[in-house]
Amino acid sequence: MNNMVAAENLRFSYTGSSPYVLDGINLFIKKGEYVSVIGENGCGKSTLMRLILGFLKPVSGKIESHAVRIGYVPQKNEFNNSGFPITVYEMLDSYRHLLKLSDKSIPAKSMEMVGMSRFSGSLMGELSGGQTQKILIARALIGEPDLLILDEPSTGVDIGSQKEIYGFLKKLNREKQVTIFSVEHNLEAAIANSTIIYHLVNGKGHLCFPQQYAEEYLRSNKII
Amino acid sequence: MIGDTLSHASLAGVALGLLTNQNPILGAFVFTSLCGALIEFLRTYFKKYTDLILTIVLALGVGTAITIISSGKLHANADSFLFGSVLTVTQFDMIMVVVLSAISVLTLIFFYHQMLYLAYDEEAAKIAGVRVKLINYIFSILVASAISVSIRIVGVLVLGSMIALPVATALQLRKGFRKTLIFSILFSVIDIMIGLFASFYLNVAPGGFTALVSVTVLVIVMLSRKIYLDSRNRREEKFTAIK
Repeated sequence: MNNMVAAENLRFSYTGSSPYVLDGINLFIKKGEYVSVIGENGCGKSTLMRLILGFLKPVSGKIESHAVRIGYVPQKNEFNNSGFPITVYEMLDSYRHLLKLSDKSIPAKSMEMVGMSRFSGSLMGELSGGQTQKILIARALIGEPDLLILDEPSTGVDIGSQKEIYGFLKKLNREKQVTIFSVEHNLEAAIANSTIIYHLVNGKGHLCFPQQYAEEYLRSNKII
Repeated sequence: MIGDTLSHASLAGVALGLLTNQNPILGAFVFTSLCGALIEFLRTYFKKYTDLILTIVLALGVGTAITIISSGKLHANADSFLFGSVLTVTQFDMIMVVVLSAISVLTLIFFYHQMLYLAYDEEAAKIAGVRVKLINYIFSILVASAISVSIRIVGVLVLGSMIALPVATALQLRKGFRKTLIFSILFSVIDIMIGLFASFYLNVAPGGFTALVSVTVLVIVMLSRKIYLDSRNRREEKFTAIK
């Protein structure tokens, strides 16, 4: 099986009937690809992601993930200033326990990987947007997932941290062959980092190469 | 809020226990556990309306309790369960307290990481393979057992605050989860011991006075933290000015 994710004739609506948020989606993501899903607000990007994660069930059609382990990076807004009393170390170490991994050095290694070792004892709710995002990525990478799913990783993150995060994701994809599925609103990042772009419009989608999408975008906005 | 709802619902369990000539603590434990399971079950139907679910369960519990108590068919007085009284604690109650407490502590140790993640990030827990529904049911039973063991001493009316206030106090310390948990237990013990001794000498219901002690301890910790932060900021400002 060469596909990491396969969706066939996928239909979904929150009411279980028409109108559908996703209507006849056929999407096949190969292992080692970096797919950015783009589209306007409400076009179904996050819904598609939640279907892949198994949080939602399709109304018709099917969606399968062939990942051995999935790493998920949610939108960081839910974690900023949440007031929940949990330190960075506790969050990573408890996640290691959930995955039943015995190596106690995993939290330290994960923090080191994203350059956040000195924040080990900090409370999650007191981190900046960029720092929270890096820690959420570090958590998603515990257990070496073969599929990494991200929900708008650059929202509310400063430019410097964005560069670091996308550089890290690109390296992870190109060097370690981790398949990445990223819901994106950041077109520039999607074009610069993805190997393929999935453009969703009115519940239907089509695949294109980043360069191809960039030209389409520039032409449709009469920039060229 | 779940603690408050279940503590009020436990009165129905006490009333049912007294009505059927069974141990009221056991009645409270069974009924509160069922209410906890009902909360979890209703989450499927009211996904984004947790407050509404709690109101439904609260109505069921209080409605059942008032109906039974007002029917005049109880063979004992339920008032001591409303306000709490150490004097009414029997030897069997003490054994129940010890057994349920031991089971609660062991369950918490065994499911610590799962429960932590359910409270913090349920989606991440699902992805990591945690059986979310099962752990939520276990959590409900834990809350039910905590309520049942405390009901005789502090009473139904202030039990919810007894569960929430030590946590609110510990949260002021801005520590991680493990330390907040330990400090919550510590504040609980402090609140309840001061409350019990003082209520004995003042000849008032222990539940109400313990709740007042909890609020006082919370205010003291909040003020101490503010004074500490203000003085630290002043020291830092002075240090920066000298530099």
